[in-house]
Amino acid sequence: MPRDPLRTKLCDMLGIEYPIIAFTHCKDVAVAVINAGAFAVLGEAMHTPDEIAADIRWIRERIDGKPYGIDLVLPASSPLEGGLEDLESKIPASHRDFAAGIAKRHDVPEPKGPVALHRWGGLNQQMARAQLDVVLDERVPVFTSGLGNPAFILEAAHARGIKVFGLIGKKRQAEREIEAGVDAIIAQGYDAAGHTGTIGTFSIVPEVAAIAGNTPVIAGGGVTTGRHLAAALCLGASGVWTGTLWLASRESDEDMIIKEKLLAASAEDTTHSRSVSGMTMRTLKCPWTEEWAKPDAPRPLSAPYQMLLSARYTQAANDHRREDLMYEAAGQGVGFVTSMKPARQIVFDMVEEALGAFEERVGDDA
Amino acid sequence: MSDPDPAASSRHASRPGFDASRAGRRAECDGGGGVPGTRFAGREEFAGTLTGDYVDHGDPPWRWYLLAELERKPEGYPGDAVWCESGSLFLS
Ligand SMILES: Cc1cc2nc3c(=O)[nH]c(=O)nc-3n(C[C@H](O)[C@H](O)[C@H](O)COP(=O)(O)O)c2cc1C
Repeated sequence: MPRDPLRTKLCDMLGIEYPIIAFTHCKDVAVAVINAGAFAVLGEAMHTPDEIAADIRWIRERIDGKPYGIDLVLPASSPLEGGLEDLESKIPASHRDFAAGIAKRHDVPEPKGPVALHRWGGLNQQMARAQLDVVLDERVPVFTSGLGNPAFILEAAHARGIKVFGLIGKKRQAEREIEAGVDAIIAQGYDAAGHTGTIGTFSIVPEVAAIAGNTPVIAGGGVTTGRHLAAALCLGASGVWTGTLWLASRESDEDMIIKEKLLAASAEDTTHSRSVSGMTMRTLKCPWTEEWAKPDAPRPLSAPYQMLLSARYTQAANDHRREDLMYEAAGQGVGFVTSMKPARQIVFDMVEEALGAFEERVGDDA
Repeated sequence: MSDPDPAASSRHASRPGFDASRAGRRAECDGGGGVPGTRFAGREEFAGTLTGDYVDHGDPPWRWYLLAELERKPEGYPGDAVWCESGSLFLS
């Protein structure tokens, strides 16, 4: 091949060797991926400004000047209501009864402590602003907005040398963000873990690449092998955005029970369900999601009401480490996650397999 | 650093306003937000009419518009109005 197909404009922009971005909540995973020559973004949406600042320092001390990223979820809409507490009373009795029935049928214990509905009083605009100020003050090399348009912060970020990436699930969101001047756009497809739009990775990535001009496009959703990486680059992406891939890595701080579930799971073990929060998200199936998917189940409530119902189940499952009840966000690529490898090894295996896939295609028997 | 001291609170101050040119315009919002108590976020879609009311949060200002008379909202959404971040609003 004439040149290294993995050397993309994203690599040049970030000064990294491999066009792989790990999205992770685990600092150890982030550091291992960065030190292996790829890139990592730490998910900080649920952390206080002080915790974010401490995490940034912790990472910086371990990566010898290499770049890293911080991800926040910028809310894009917010209901008029105030605190969650007054909302409890609005949950219909039919839904409460159904949730109680699930608890009974599956022997869900009481959580060990009070249900931690939210550490923040909801993710509101002012809290997100306070988190963003840490990103600006600390001059984080890359800020990614996992939801919501980061346009309003672009000028301030660029003035501090911060690159801003926006994650989108629809073409019109990409158009808007590219026009605003984001440094890269993450096109995330329906295969992905957590919140997703409704368009598959194979459709959204080339659709966005076609309108992105010089802005690098990063493909997310279902990317778990070197073949996915090679395919993403062929679709017009300059790199990949990966989440599920790292959950069962050696360094990951996921509970061992979840790691084992992930290793055993295939795409069909995930579900795209409103039952956890009222907003669709892809997670591993569990009794809670399965019960709400039954034909005679009530339709899940909207956010945040559904969350009030599911929080008790989730906390009880985790507090008691009940293997049969526990779940985690996971994408459809989870079937390719079959062993608990060190993060560094995951990077190298992915690179090797991608290069092999390119060679195979240009070989005689392609 | 990020605790509410006088400087920080002015930095995060909210300022309401009214934009007559937007009042009565139909708009869609590719919305959503974080899910309290989890590490997840969710996407939601709304369509309705802008009242023209807005709120700017902090500096640089982060502008939110009030979208009312909702014609499209997530299933079970109880209200008839929602605050939408300006960058996620698409005017018809
Ligand atoms: C456990 C878990 C939690 C997630 N939480 C967030 C989050 O807080 N913010 C965010 O932008 N994306 C979040 N995501 C989604 C990732 O950013 C990413 O888009 C997704 O994992 C990509 O799809 P994949 O899992 O198939 O690789 C999460 C993913 C996982 C696996």
